Amino acid sequence: MGKKSKLTIGGFFAGILSGLLGVGGGIIMVPIMISYFNLSQHQAHATSLAVIVPTAIASSIIYGFHGQLDMSVAMNLAIGSIIGAAIGAKTMKKIPAAQLKRMFGVLLVLVGIRMISL
Amino acid sequence: MIMIILTLFSGLCAGVLSGLLGVGGGIVLVPVMVFILGLTQHTAQGISLLVIIPTALSGAYHLHKEKLINYQAAFYLALGAISGTLISSNFVQMVPAKYLQEIFGIFIIFTGIKMIFAKTKK
Repeated sequence: MGKKSKLTIGGFFAGILSGLLGVGGGIIMVPIMISYFNLSQHQAHATSLAVIVPTAIASSIIYGFHGQLDMSVAMNLAIGSIIGAAIGAKTMKKIPAAQLKRMFGVLLVLVGIRMISL
Repeated sequence: MIMIILTLFSGLCAGVLSGLLGVGGGIVLVPVMVFILGLTQHTAQGISLLVIIPTALSGAYHLHKEKLINYQAAFYLALGAISGTLISSNFVQMVPAKYLQEIFGIFIIFTGIKMIFAKTKK
């Protein structure tokens, strides 16, 4: 199977995940690009963002058709989120990210358990 | 007013975490909207997708300038991803909120475990 069809199939699964769970899909695309196409971590991260933009647009149009959007909440979250991301990216260099990542992983597991048992 | 401040603050926290850890916004935003803002799972996911658009766009813009985006790979990935999401975004509307929340829960447990055992970057 060619490189192009492998990428398309990988993208397809990322898209399924994106629409199903309301996430970007980078969690699938980044490892695929690193393991199978020899892209660096940075290139894979950058490329996944470029894919996420049109994918999220397509997903939100469909969610919008089904009435599952709230523009004012989205606006406020986006404003907070963009400012926060800039702060986070700057602070990243100053703190031990690996340890923080583990702590966040534990938090995710706990939140996940709560979501299942609700 | 309190709701607006709470929403802005939630977004800020989600943004800081995703900038800090390199995870996407959705994985932080959806639980925040469900547990703190009290939205339903479907609406939380729809809003998450909307918020991801400008966030990913601003990230992609900076990385485009650094010439880090591989557009050929991006094209084929996007081709697959858009087809995939057209199917699942429609399908998901038929999934009851309770089950969807459980599926999301399993997804973040998996992601959490992956983060706990991730190798430290060189």
